[in-house]
Amino acid sequence: MTDERVSRRAYLATAGTGIAMLAGCSSGGGDPGTEGETATDTPVTTGTPTATPESLSGTLTVATYSSWVEDEGAAGPWLKQTFEERYPDVTVEYVTPDGEVSHYVQRKQQGAPIDADMYVGLNVDQLITADSNLDTDLFDTPQLSNGRKVKDGLRFDPQGRAIPYDTGYISVVFDESEVPRPETFTDLTEPEWEDGLLAQNAQTAATGRAFLLWTIKEFGTDGYLDYWRDLQANGVTILDSWTESYSNAYMNGERPMVVSYSTDQVFANRYDYDMTRHQVAALNGQGYANPEGMARFADSDSPDLAAVFMDFMLTAEAQGEIAVRNVQFPAIPESEAALTEEFQTYAKVPDQPVTFTYDELQGNVEGWVEDWAREIAQ
Amino acid sequence: MFYYPVGTVLAEAVTDGGVTLAPIRDVLADEFYTGALADAIRSPGSIPAGLAGWLLASASDIANALAVLVNALVSPFDGGLESWPGAVLGGIGGVLGALAGVVPGFGLFGFTAWQALCSTVASLALGLPGAYVLARFEFPGRRTLESLTAVPFVLPSIMVAVGFVAAFGVNGPLNRTLAALGLPTVELLFSLEIIIIAHAFYNAPLVTRIVAAAWESVDARAVETARSLGASPTRAFRDVVVPQLLPAVATGALLTFIFTFMSFPIVLALGGLEYATVEVWLYNRVGQLDIQEAAVLAVLETVISLGLTYAYLRYEAATSRGDRVGSPLDRDPLFRLDAKRVALAGYGVVVAVVFLLPIVSMLAASVTSPDGLTLRYYRFLLERGAEATSAQVSPTLAVRNSLLFGAGTLLVAVPMGVLLALASTREGRLARAVGVLSMAPFAVSGVVVGLGLLQTLVFGTTVLGRRIVVGGPLAIVAAHAVGAYPFVVRNVAPLLAGLDRRLVESARALGATRNRALLDIELPLVAPGIAAGAAFAFAISIGEFDSTVLLASASGSDTSLYTMPVAVERFLGKQTLGRPTAMGSVLLAVTAGAFIVIDRVGGRYRE
Repeated sequence: MTDERVSRRAYLATAGTGIAMLAGCSSGGGDPGTEGETATDTPVTTGTPTATPESLSGTLTVATYSSWVEDEGAAGPWLKQTFEERYPDVTVEYVTPDGEVSHYVQRKQQGAPIDADMYVGLNVDQLITADSNLDTDLFDTPQLSNGRKVKDGLRFDPQGRAIPYDTGYISVVFDESEVPRPETFTDLTEPEWEDGLLAQNAQTAATGRAFLLWTIKEFGTDGYLDYWRDLQANGVTILDSWTESYSNAYMNGERPMVVSYSTDQVFANRYDYDMTRHQVAALNGQGYANPEGMARFADSDSPDLAAVFMDFMLTAEAQGEIAVRNVQFPAIPESEAALTEEFQTYAKVPDQPVTFTYDELQGNVEGWVEDWAREIAQ
Repeated sequence: MFYYPVGTVLAEAVTDGGVTLAPIRDVLADEFYTGALADAIRSPGSIPAGLAGWLLASASDIANALAVLVNALVSPFDGGLESWPGAVLGGIGGVLGALAGVVPGFGLFGFTAWQALCSTVASLALGLPGAYVLARFEFPGRRTLESLTAVPFVLPSIMVAVGFVAAFGVNGPLNRTLAALGLPTVELLFSLEIIIIAHAFYNAPLVTRIVAAAWESVDARAVETARSLGASPTRAFRDVVVPQLLPAVATGALLTFIFTFMSFPIVLALGGLEYATVEVWLYNRVGQLDIQEAAVLAVLETVISLGLTYAYLRYEAATSRGDRVGSPLDRDPLFRLDAKRVALAGYGVVVAVVFLLPIVSMLAASVTSPDGLTLRYYRFLLERGAEATSAQVSPTLAVRNSLLFGAGTLLVAVPMGVLLALASTREGRLARAVGVLSMAPFAVSGVVVGLGLLQTLVFGTTVLGRRIVVGGPLAIVAAHAVGAYPFVVRNVAPLLAGLDRRLVESARALGATRNRALLDIELPLVAPGIAAGAAFAFAISIGEFDSTVLLASASGSDTSLYTMPVAVERFLGKQTLGRPTAMGSVLLAVTAGAFIVIDRVGGRYRE
């Protein structure tokens, strides 16, 4: 609704990925991929597309966030071009509404037509927001041939509507010439790291939300606000978006640490930045996993076309391109995706990925974020 | 285009099944929002006891701090003579701290009002000398400079934030200069100070422009009369000029207060969540789809802003009954050497730091890459302009749309604003009500306007089974005009109110029709105000973001209605500020050019 939202999109673009087997992660609520896995439980024909190029035609409207189509070398235009070459009678159109997923939640609430077939760039808390604000389903459950290639640990929707296509790990990026490597959460509240950290607003930025959830994972619902009081006393700065905190403040040398992604060095290497300022710290050896998903609108006029496009996004070729272009980890096992050498060298996976499941977040996350925001703003 | 969409959102503040005031009471009684007032609202009976306790506690705090200070003052040898100045300074600091502690916390609303007050003072301090220079001195480029005072208004806040971080950051040019001069460096970012400076960046030019317009219409003969009767220049200024400027100064202060009270992107970008204002919080409520609480906050903001406007209009009606006619004061040449002009040169340095440094820093970001100087971001704009796909923003189209919408806004907002100004400067309560209502677009949260447009026009309504969706260029122009016409009203109304009614009456007595008198007498006399209002109306249109982005996407995949600020926002992405700042520089160049044209064209009717 305003240009502050920008940053959220930009951030989202970067958020979210991960190679990783989250199977070993510390999420207490069990593997999110075990229930209702409609997509993978369904018998499918493997390896072949569900439709032949000749049989598909029409326009597919894909809603997404703007950096998916605007960024330098963004994944969106590549996917459109490649998909249209494969299916000559199909046109892929992107729409990038300012409110992202909540735009469609509001449309549905107001009884307005959805006017899109699928959404790309959905994360777990947006899905929870959609579910808790609507009586009917915004999304339905597609049958995908490639659905079962997605690593189980990444599946964040118990009902199998949202299919992950990439993931990222939230980490602290720091300048090793200015501060020692922070090893633990408590380090960030010590004098050596005073006035050091840039974080993001958990209400508006996916990185901010993920970092907040990570601290809740570490300190529990009874202890996280105390920890944030300590962080505030030690001079943490909370900006609205990843772009503002990273591109604007961190890159200008305002602070020596910023909440960002474990893939940071891929960027740094691509743009020839000085690596001393792009060190990745996995606090307690962890990183908070933040998968990004795609989902088909229940009101889609072209459900079959949407399913074919989603399947296409999970092919080895597309997974490699998405990961490299979006600087996130693929959603299928890394060994199966076509990744560049640069990416494999510089993208770091934390020893211990952590995350909250849909069920753990549902009914809780809004209150956690609200309490946190009130604590910071006073 | 305004009242209906906004009304539908604000109505949620008082509906909960039926009509109720409970949501509003809940917010007012929440300490987070109103701090010390919350107790009083919850239980008015506790006020006297609370007040007494507070007075006692603060009196003893102040007494203790004073005792420390007096002790430090009278016994210079206690801690050694050389540490004495430090001890005295510490004592003074203690007293100031105790005094500041007397002001109880008033929660989010209290903080919001406090920062708005500081921002208003800063904007006046920075803007008034500018009005003096523009109104009283002649120098080459004066008219151009006057035109350019509207430029800060069009800059998207994200660009301003980029410029401010670059200019005032730890490694920025300000600190490098201070260090080179052997002075201590400053850490301004993510503080209340930087928010206030940025607010002054946006609002001081507004003050300058409004006050300069009023100054230009001060009657020189009144000053000459005062001087011939023996008044000193200072005395003539104080008794003749100042009373005529006060309404304009108060207008500038009022607008600045309302804008900074509603401030939001700047606060977030330069201060962070710790300095959240009511509008920031409102925006976050909308993001969480908590529309009711957002609506309550918007209602409270609107009540505060309109209340201030009403108080101001009463004041304006009481003060501006001058006998002004158009015989402007002569201007002095600027370039000459005396104490006054040396002081103005010092002011020039401050202006350069606050206005030029951020803009230059922003321009610099558009031609700098990690490898050094580059034009690649401008090349990108050209290439994208030639071959953007449907979902991508084309810079050329953005420039064209911005100029078209800006021109359309002028055509609608200027006549509308002048008419409302005429209506609101008549005598009586009704006129004041018109005046207050004409300010409503300023007084309503921008976030709520956006939400209202979304829910009513963009999503559309079903009439007889057909869905009516309002979008397209006309809707955007209408939305811009609604945001812009109050500027015209507030620039023109004080001048109209100060007009000598006898001029119009004599013209009518000599046989002129009402319209003739308006066209030949009134409008030429308030032309500087109309020109100032028009420039701001155009600026509002060019810089408007929220409703443009919503209405531009109203018709699904047809996104070809975006403007330059939308393009800036869309080019913000990973890792580089080059593309958005290049687009921002184009925005700056195009609009600066447009302002000069508008002012020159408008100026023809001025002399």
